Formats: sequence, C-alpha cells, structure tokens
Amino acid sequence: MTALVAGEGVDEPTGPRLAPAPKRTRRRERDTLSVEWVKLELLRTAYATRGGLLTIMDPRAVVIWYVILGLSPWFTHNLTVLVILFTIAAISVIASRVGPLILGLFIIGLLGEAVYVFIAAWFFGGDSGTVIALLELTLKLGTLSMASMAAFVSLDPEKLSDALLSFRAPALLSFGVSYGYRMLPILIDEFHTIVDGHRLRSAPVQKAGFLGWRVLWRIAEVTFAAFYPLMLNTAKRTRTTVEALETRGFTYALEHPDGQRIRLAYLRYRWRDAGLIAGTALLVVAAYAVGYAAPLEVRDFQ
Amino acid sequence: MTTTTPSPARVGLPHPGELSRSQKLMVFVLSMTTFGLANIITEVLPSIQLGPIELSISYLAFVPVVMVSLFHPLWAALGAPLGEIIFVDLLMGNFSGIGELEGYIQLALGLYIGGSLVRDPLRKWQVALAAFVAVFIDKVLGGITDIVKVLIGVADAEFVEGLPESILVLEAVEQSVDIVISGILFGAIPAMLLAPRLHGRIEPLLGMAPRTPEVPVAQRARISAPFVILALVLGLVSVVAAILDELDLNGIVLEGEFVENYGPQVLWISVGVALTILVIAILVARSRATSSIAASSSDIDDRLAAAAQAPATVTTEPATAESSAVESASPVSTDSTDK
Repeated sequence: MTALVAGEGVDEPTGPRLAPAPKRTRRRERDTLSVEWVKLELLRTAYATRGGLLTIMDPRAVVIWYVILGLSPWFTHNLTVLVILFTIAAISVIASRVGPLILGLFIIGLLGEAVYVFIAAWFFGGDSGTVIALLELTLKLGTLSMASMAAFVSLDPEKLSDALLSFRAPALLSFGVSYGYRMLPILIDEFHTIVDGHRLRSAPVQKAGFLGWRVLWRIAEVTFAAFYPLMLNTAKRTRTTVEALETRGFTYALEHPDGQRIRLAYLRYRWRDAGLIAGTALLVVAAYAVGYAAPLEVRDFQ
Repeated sequence: MTTTTPSPARVGLPHPGELSRSQKLMVFVLSMTTFGLANIITEVLPSIQLGPIELSISYLAFVPVVMVSLFHPLWAALGAPLGEIIFVDLLMGNFSGIGELEGYIQLALGLYIGGSLVRDPLRKWQVALAAFVAVFIDKVLGGITDIVKVLIGVADAEFVEGLPESILVLEAVEQSVDIVISGILFGAIPAMLLAPRLHGRIEPLLGMAPRTPEVPVAQRARISAPFVILALVLGLVSVVAAILDELDLNGIVLEGEFVENYGPQVLWISVGVALTILVIAILVARSRATSSIAASSSDIDDRLAAAAQAPATVTTEPATAESSAVESASPVSTDSTDK
C-alpha cells in the first residue's frame, strides 16, 4: 500500500516521492511535506543508536549529572563562573557526539533569541549594559540546554524512564515510554494510510493559489479529517492492549515494590558513575572558587 | 452539521465519572497516544518566522481538547502532555529535562480546567470555549514562566535599560499569536466540529457511557474552576512579587556571592508557598465539587452561554443549542473509514 502510493505518485502537488527523488528541483520544497519522507526521517531519529561518553554510564548517574550541571548556573550572577560552566557543558556536548543538526538548531535558536531581545531592548533605550545582561542570560540558558542535550541525546528512552522510575517518578511515565516506543511506527503507518486514503478519494488541488494557500488548506483539512478515524481506531486498539495488560496484572506489578525491584535490578552504580558525579561536582565547585577569586559582574560594565 | 444524536446512555456501561482502573488507564493512554501523534505531525508542519515572532503551530490543541471534553478530564489531561514528552521529546532525542516538567504542568492544568468546563460535549460552543481556555492557560503560564526566568537569570533585571519592557512586549506578542493560532485556528474550530461527531461513538469502544449533562463527571474542578484560576493567578503574582523584591534587595544591600545564594532560597520558599496554596485550593475545590455534585449549576451554564455569545444556548436542551449555533457549515470532510 505504502510503496504503491508512494511509488506511483498520485498526481497532486504534494505527492510523495521515494528517497531518490526525480530531478525536478521545483518539487523539492514540497517534498519535505510528504508523509513518507517524514515517516522515514522520524523513525531514523527515534531508533538510531548513537555512541558517546554518557551512553556507557548508569542512567541514574547521567540524570544526577544533568541536574548538577543544569542547576548550578542559576545560583550566581558572576560571569566568570558562568563562562566556566558554559565551557564544561560545551565540552560534554562534544564528548557525547550530539548530531550537527540538533547542535546547529540550538546555536541558531540561542543566538537568534538574544539578538531579538536586544533589538527590542534597544528600541526601549537599551545600551551595552543590556548586551552584557543578555549575555548572562544566554550563558545560563545555554548551559542548561547543552547539559540536557548531552545527557538525553545519548540516553536510550527506556533506560531514561527506568532511571526516572528509580527516582520515584510515576510508574505511568515508564509505561508510556515503553508503549510509545513500540507503537510509534504503527501509529505513523496508520496515519499515513488514512491520509493516503483521503488523497486517493479526492480530486487534487487544481491551482496552488497565492503562496500555495490552497495546498496548505488541503493539508490542514486532511489532517483534521484524518483524526476522526484515527481516534476511533486508536481507542479500539488501546482497549485491546490495556485489557490484555490488565488481565496479566500489569498495573499491580508496575506499582508493587517487588515488581519495581525486578524491573530496575539491572541498574547498578559502578566506579565510573561515582567518578562522573564527583568529577562534575568538583568542577562546579572549582568554577565557583575561580569566580570568587576573580569576580566579573554584570554591573561592572554599566 | 451532521445529525449526530447522542446515543442514549447505555445501561450497564460505567459512567465516565466512575471508571474502573483499567478504563482510567485506557483514557490516559488514548489521550497520550493521539496527542503524541499530533505533535509528531506538528513537528514537520512548516512555520513562518517574522523576526522574533514565529507564526507556527505549537500544537494541534484540538486533539487533547476533544479528549478532555469526551472523557474524564483529569485522566485525559494527565495523559496528553505526557504524549508530547514521550513521542516528540524523548523518542526524537529532544528531551529538555526540567523544562519538560513546567510544560507538562502548564498544559495539564489548562486541559483539566478546560475539560471541566464542558458540561455537554454536543454543544459546540462549550467545546470551543474549553479549547480556548486550555490554550490560554497554558500559554499565559508559559509566558509568565519565561519572564520569571529572565528575572531570576539576570542580575538586577529591572534596572537594565530596556530589558523588562522588551521581554514583556516580546512575550505578550508571542503568546497572543500562539493563542490565536493554536487556540482558535487549530484548537477551538476543529475541536467544536470533531467532538460532537465522536460523542457517543468513541466512548463505547472503551466500554463506557458518553458524558451527558444530566450526570456530571466527578472529580472535575467544575464548580470552583474560577476559584482555582484565581488561586493560581494569586500564587504566581506572589512569586513574581517575591522575585522583584529579592532582586531589589540584591541590588542595594546584599553583596558577594555567598549572600547571593540566599536569593534563590527565598524564591524557592515563595514558590513552595504558592504551590501549597494551589494544592489547598484544588483540594477544597474537589471536596466542594464532589459534595455538591447533585446540585445543578445553571449559573455556570448561563455564564458559558454568555461567554460564547450564542443567542439561544441558554436553553438546556442539547438539540436546540446544536441547531441554533452559528457555525453550521463544516469544512472538514469527515469520513468514517473504520478499518
């Protein structure tokens, strides 16, 4: 079904193409909206395995590491400390092999935000002091974001949810992760089938209109309409799954201490985990010590 | 609109207010899955960037709003934001740790209050209002959180030339655009078309009776929803005030880095106080709601009708309100391909 529709291509401006797209550059922009492309791209992102420094660590240690590094910049206004913490976070991002796409988006987002705020501030009479103040904020937000990137990009979602479970997070979170991890391809496939059905049964958009608004309108229309059968089908499937799980005592086992103990038995702290946490804590303390010795405050620039 | 008559509440099927454990899980999972999928779709929809203002769809709000309108609002509201976190953030490697928690609380609270406002899912304007309220609460809380972040993050933020005004203006514009796009275009309008169609059809699939105005759902913050909102606003105002106070002190009296650590602690205490107030408010609201569940609340109905500006929605009969609703032509070409 999928291959047929994608390969033959219904003659519609938003028609999906397989990866070796025909050499018509005019089409390329719209191809990014094709459901098939999106599906492949998403599955690639969700199920790809990446190496990295933090992958070999115990997930609980990674979460603790993240909390230490992510929270530490918010307790000071000292720029020296912030620069050091930012550097630590940047090094860990490089060490955990964050992909260039995510990294690029992050840098553009962070800088863009700061530039916009500065333009608006300049409009209200800001000066170079405003830039320094924004720099402080950017350093803090950047450290937090990079810490989360380094920690969670390389962490398997199921491992992460087990770590959160061991920190007494609600058991439903862990269940949701396992469920979503397995259902995602089925759901995307189903959505794809429904959208294809709509497209097969309806006439293509004749004219694109101003800025292609007719095409966009059609996409929105089909998306809304697709949720009607999708919700009904998902409801049916959910009931089947949940009843099958509950017959086997799923919720009971999920919440029972013994069940949790068995589930989390594979997690164990090793020396390297302790080393990671201790090393990070030491670095943060050192950053604060250096900042105390050579303080650099925002108001020094005003 | 199609002539969707509510299927009569089935005898023997549990009412959405009194669900079994597995049915709560079903509602939770269904809400989580559908909103997760909706978010994956949102991820790939295009966005137009106009300088600092992004004309993008932050989420397809109609999906969780339909869920909280049709099913038990609490379980559906708890599930939906989790779907976003799991499907988009965790699986796509975009998890942002603590930031996810604030987003979860904002959206879950908005959806719960929105869903509690719906008394009869067949009334389109009630569903539309629920969608608007849900997105409004989420976005306003998000804007306040962003401003608070700046106030915490920058030393003496209110003394920096132009910074407070610009943050305020940027946030106000951004959140208003989001409320219009996500709350109305992709929230209220599709939700008010979709919810009446699914009503009476999707509930039996989960083995429960549809929500009807005759038997209100238990555990909803309905009667005292304004009370909860008020408590929340007051709590947040107190937090902001506390931060402003603290920054003020910081600028004049306190010096050195050890003393600066004192500031955030004061902040956390005030956050704790605000949270306590909120929890107490919710508990009071719940006890009130459960105790006076039998008491019909026609005053809220009137207020809803007034807010929706629909001329004849005051009549309690669903069918009348349905036909008198302004919107009648449905652009969504729905088909019922049940596979």
